[in-house]
Amino acid sequence: MTTVSSRLIILALGFLGGLAAWPAAELILYSQGAFPSYLAFLSLLGAVVGALMGAFFGSAEGITSRIRNRIPAGLLLGALVGCIGGALGALVGQAALWLIGGIFLLSYRDMQWVVLPVSRAIGWAVLGVFVGAGEGCRSLSPKKIAVGVLGGFLGGMVGGFALEYSRLLLPGFALFRLVGLVILGLAIGFFYGLIEQGMSFGVLRILAGELKGKEFFLTERRIRIGRSPRNEIALPAYDDLADLQADIRVRKGEPVITNLDPSVTMLVNEEKVKERKLKLGDVIKIGSARIFYKYG
Amino acid sequence: MTRCFFLGVFLLSVAAGAASALTISLSQIDSSGLLLSQRVNAYVSVTDDQGEPLTSLQQDAFTVSESADGVHYAKLPVIAFEPSAGANRGISFLLVIDNSGSMYDTPDSKPTTDPAKMKITRAKEAVRAFLASMTNPQDKVGLVVFNTRYRLLARPSTDRERVASLLDQITKPVPDEAYTELYGTLKLASQEFAGVSGRKAIIVLSDGENFPYFTHTGKPHPDYGTRVFTYPESIVANQEEGVTVYGIDFGVEVMDKNLRTIAQETGGKTFEAARGEDLNGVYAAIHRQVAGEYLIGYRATTTPAEKKFVQLSVNDAGKESTATRFYFSSIVFGLPLHSLSVVLIIPFVLGFALLWLLTLLKLERRPGPANLEVLQTRIGHPVTRVLPLSATKTVIGGSASADLTIVGAPQVRQEHATILFDPKDKSYTVVGSGDITVNNQPVKTRKLEPGDVIDVGGATIVFDDSKDRKQEKK
Repeated sequence: MTTVSSRLIILALGFLGGLAAWPAAELILYSQGAFPSYLAFLSLLGAVVGALMGAFFGSAEGITSRIRNRIPAGLLLGALVGCIGGALGALVGQAALWLIGGIFLLSYRDMQWVVLPVSRAIGWAVLGVFVGAGEGCRSLSPKKIAVGVLGGFLGGMVGGFALEYSRLLLPGFALFRLVGLVILGLAIGFFYGLIEQGMSFGVLRILAGELKGKEFFLTERRIRIGRSPRNEIALPAYDDLADLQADIRVRKGEPVITNLDPSVTMLVNEEKVKERKLKLGDVIKIGSARIFYKYG
Repeated sequence: MTRCFFLGVFLLSVAAGAASALTISLSQIDSSGLLLSQRVNAYVSVTDDQGEPLTSLQQDAFTVSESADGVHYAKLPVIAFEPSAGANRGISFLLVIDNSGSMYDTPDSKPTTDPAKMKITRAKEAVRAFLASMTNPQDKVGLVVFNTRYRLLARPSTDRERVASLLDQITKPVPDEAYTELYGTLKLASQEFAGVSGRKAIIVLSDGENFPYFTHTGKPHPDYGTRVFTYPESIVANQEEGVTVYGIDFGVEVMDKNLRTIAQETGGKTFEAARGEDLNGVYAAIHRQVAGEYLIGYRATTTPAEKKFVQLSVNDAGKESTATRFYFSSIVFGLPLHSLSVVLIIPFVLGFALLWLLTLLKLERRPGPANLEVLQTRIGHPVTRVLPLSATKTVIGGSASADLTIVGAPQVRQEHATILFDPKDKSYTVVGSGDITVNNQPVKTRKLEPGDVIDVGGATIVFDDSKDRKQEKK
């Protein structure tokens, strides 16, 4: 799976997350008046929407890395983090909506076309920030948090506007919230893919074996390579490798690969090395694995 | 700095009813506690037919109701009641005094040279009396004068002596400064409360209409240029800061027709003090009214609505009065649908079904036949990206007759490299006629392993032979 198709998969997951979250959101919204307080109502609503979107994004890593047994754990952890992020996002977004809405309501008399859309967009942007940060928190990656926050912010903004204007321009259109949620999901997914590339210092492409064609963005300070599914580059099908075979660290802006288990030989451009600064175009052989370092 | 945003907005009606001898006025709705404590606070004042505040009413005299549509109201229990909330917490006043030319006439609008007969002198005396009557150490007071120009003399502070001494600085304006920028002044004055918490009130004393400089002279205003302020701007600015505007009409002929609206929409009212006799009394009445406000807190409903109407009623010995305002209650997710349908289950199930399908996608790679794949080229591009190796001899080069053609790359020879199949040991060997590298090492000929990277004049080509690898393993 190339980086392009990984990006498409994450985009699709964002879409599906929005799709699945929508009925749940409608159900809770429908019973709004039965809740004792806005606090309880918004916490539950945000938690459920966040959990569903978080679950879909959480499964992304397992799907794109083709390590199927990573999926359930990613899904559950994504749901858990998303649940917290969603609840916080709904509350902070609501506070923003009431604050901004209160001010706009006073400054512009046009509630329908200006006050509500603008306030809603800002509220949604805040909600999006929290939902988008979830996936980064789950994978403990500050860069992914930053990426998700930006995607969530923009997606929430656009989604909030879309929600409000689709309701205004198409009276009787019942799917307006679905539009908003799907846009939010797509934007977060799009940004995960898009900015991950901009923030990476290259791509590692697996050249042969079961994961042939799979590409990994190098976005972290440390990338672990080995058979264990915990590694950023997990190669479980390459039997001769150790659980943690090698790692790549960024030193002064340049990636350096180190062989951590000398019982398996590592060659970079046919030279046996223990540690080597990587240049674009380098060919790495570790045991049966062949990896090509290329520009993202 | 924490600014308190009061979300109470339009004063929809002060349904006082002229016959009723009781008037309730809803000056502020503070819904800032809605999210965390579900609480809304309303500040109300109740006056009798003389305009005198009634400050000794009990909690049971008030009823609070809320409505999502402005039609159907539900009565809600009062959870907090504080009489004289203003007096207890201190009030910040900003005294705004008209210093236009006509203020130097007599109360009957006759020119005079005797300062004692001038309206401005009466106004200064009334302000001094007002300052002297302020006994709550928490009360603050500030001073602004205006005509064509806006002039801040003191921001609201507890230093009342200073304000009293500043009154002497008010002098008669030159003719060009004798216009009345009432609306602009009220907008600017609201900003003087920035950073001040608690109850805030402007008391504006004017003897005429809004009379903008630019409109009447055609010349740009020295501060505002060609900008002319409108009265809704003054309303909005004061509502944003949570400032209540009280107006004192000190003229004989025309009171500004919108000053009453500005006062009403900010929760205040206007007083007539023509001829100046009762001016001291008016200032005192305003102070009493603000100080005598009741704080009434209630637990809000969660009924879906973009805005909620709050209705406060008072009933004192059969005399009744009601006031209504609304606050913003929109939910970030929007209003619920009118009805739910079982069809909603479809997107939910569909989302998860497609997720499951994605997890099945290309998880396993089936071993394929030996092939070459062009990963990237420095210059030019390949005609085919993936080429299965079926023949015993495969030519890579720039020639159109090559098996794998790289076009547009001058450094690639017509027949740059050849891959030969050896049926004996089912192996492939690359032979270069031009310069080639395998795994970045220059070679002339080399037996290939799966995953080897061949560079042919800047084109990066991967060789793979999964079947071969499986056999090797066996």
